[in-house]
Amino acid sequence: MVMLETPQLEACSLPDAEDVIVKRSRLRWHRHWRFVRRRGKFIAGLCIICLFYFTAIFADFLAPYDYRTQSRREPLAPSTAVRFRDAGGNIHPRPFIYERRVVNAFERRYVESTERVFPICFFARGYSYRLFGLFKTDVHLFGVSGVGRIDVPRVNLLGTDASGRDRLSRLIVSTRFSLIVGPAGMLLASALGIFLGCISGYVGRRTDALLMRAADTMIALPMLVLILAARAAFPLALPPARAVLLLVTIFTVVGWAEMSRLARGQVLALRQREFVLAAVGLGLSPARILFRHILPNASRPLVVQASLMLPTFLLAETALSFLGVGLQEPEASWGNMLAAAGDINLLRESGFVLLTPAIALLLFVLGARLLSDGSN
Amino acid sequence: MPLLRLIFHRLLQEVFVLLIVSALTFVLLAAAGGDALATLGDDPRLSEEMINVLRGMFGLDQPLHVRFLRWLSEILRGRMGYSFFYQAPVGSIVWPRLLNTLALAVSSLFIAWSFALPFGALAARHAGALTDRLCGIVILIAASTPRIVLALGALAVTARYSLFSAGVALSALPAYQRAAGIIQPALVLSVPLIGLFLAHTRDALRSALREEFVRAARAKGLPESVVIRRHALRAALNPLITIFGLSLGGVMSSSVIVETVLGWPGLGQLCVVAVRARDVPLLMGVVLVTATAVLVGNLMADILLRLNDPRLRLDEANQPRQ
Repeated sequence: MVMLETPQLEACSLPDAEDVIVKRSRLRWHRHWRFVRRRGKFIAGLCIICLFYFTAIFADFLAPYDYRTQSRREPLAPSTAVRFRDAGGNIHPRPFIYERRVVNAFERRYVESTERVFPICFFARGYSYRLFGLFKTDVHLFGVSGVGRIDVPRVNLLGTDASGRDRLSRLIVSTRFSLIVGPAGMLLASALGIFLGCISGYVGRRTDALLMRAADTMIALPMLVLILAARAAFPLALPPARAVLLLVTIFTVVGWAEMSRLARGQVLALRQREFVLAAVGLGLSPARILFRHILPNASRPLVVQASLMLPTFLLAETALSFLGVGLQEPEASWGNMLAAAGDINLLRESGFVLLTPAIALLLFVLGARLLSDGSN
Repeated sequence: MPLLRLIFHRLLQEVFVLLIVSALTFVLLAAAGGDALATLGDDPRLSEEMINVLRGMFGLDQPLHVRFLRWLSEILRGRMGYSFFYQAPVGSIVWPRLLNTLALAVSSLFIAWSFALPFGALAARHAGALTDRLCGIVILIAASTPRIVLALGALAVTARYSLFSAGVALSALPAYQRAAGIIQPALVLSVPLIGLFLAHTRDALRSALREEFVRAARAKGLPESVVIRRHALRAALNPLITIFGLSLGGVMSSSVIVETVLGWPGLGQLCVVAVRARDVPLLMGVVLVTATAVLVGNLMADILLRLNDPRLRLDEANQPRQ
């Protein structure tokens, strides 16, 4: 072979070294570009989701104030104006805010008193919390310096809600609840669905027919209405931990069907393959065959389906909290923060600020969607 | 005849499903304890005996199965019980709401299909072209925008520009304005459906266009529009009908949010009211009617599927009797 190819190589003229380098670098760039184009959706989705979980983990650090602290003096305040130039026209190197006082709480009119400047600093001290539930600290990403003294005003980048709580802090902390309930419900519902699907596909016959009928019915019936009906059976006001438990349980019971259909299909497709037959021939137990031999080979479509289900559960949680039957005040979730946006007069004046949880929701769903699209 | 047999079988099955769903809901609601009268106990003007008399009046002192059977027999006679919250028979509240929700669902499905079919066809015809890519973007955005976000966004826009007489109860408006009030919720409800339908139309048509009968039709010299409309679309209709049937449950689910936010007096809104007021008879009625509507819609989709595709009909006719 080598003997045959050598003359051909000699026949063609060798390209310039410079040309090769240009071509190679272009090739490399092209390869990067192709990688980004092929995997771009996946990477973008992953970045968005990671950003949300980062926010949820470091929520106490990122939030400038305790999300439950009410301030009677500042109900429904607009966003605090962060300034560099004071009333006298001097430019400050460090951003600052003025103290403001409510003039007319009913019309939500506030005036700023320009006599004193309160600089904003990073790593400011505020309420104390435990980072990761371990290290006790009171450092926050930003805040007004000199927190703790009565006369220091608060910086509310997204304004305050009707009880004068800092809306930005609530938005940051609310990612926690929303990011626990949705994914936990998704995971448990997937697990139940895969389990039932495996049984259905492997056992077959009567069991299969019965389970799949049930799954078809579950898919056909309106999920949110069922969830609401199940939710109505329990007291409306629940402490947060029990609310999480309840919602996750309801989601699991209601949401297993689609996953079980898919898992059944995968099991049916795989159970006649040689390696499964070999495992059967070796006399392995059905459980071992299912979980060690069939499931690992069916994992990819199941994972994609799980990531497709994630937005559904997240939205169901938001919907429940929005309707006032999910997480209750004073805890914060995207849903119960959005409930304030139902007030049309408030919405007219400060629509953007009220809809920030909706934007977070949109971003998260988009991220989950990109992730599942990209991993296909 | 196989079609009629199918309808009969499915109807039987669906009655059974409805029975199970309502029984489960009933048991769950009862097991939780705390009926609508329990909250009356907080009222100092009502004595314990009075509440017990009321319980006896509404039959709430009976054991569970007796109550369920009684409820069931009432349903069979066309009555759905008495709503504690509205102080009226459940039927008189639910039926007008059902009509409103059906109007909303039908108009949003109509909007979604009339958008998805032509654009999906265009995208399937020119694969990889600008329209195709635009469709991809529309699908991603439309399918990943939650309805709650859309509904609140629509509400914000209405509030800002005072469209559709925002914030006024619909019943206080003249009839034509009340009818115009459906436009907004229908649009909001249809956006995610557009994403879903567009994606499936595009994929189904694209795979149909690769089939041999399409090549034959083209070889006959038919114009491309006729090839798509008469030949490819007909074949692509099957998965679309299936998707249509599957989307009905989602439409009903999301109408809960859309109706509550945008103030459309439908079943979804009623469901929320019933849950908040813990009005068990009303909630049972809403769940039953919603589930029935969705199951009937699914049955219709199945019948359509068989009317459209002779192969399915033949398959069933040839099947041995069970």
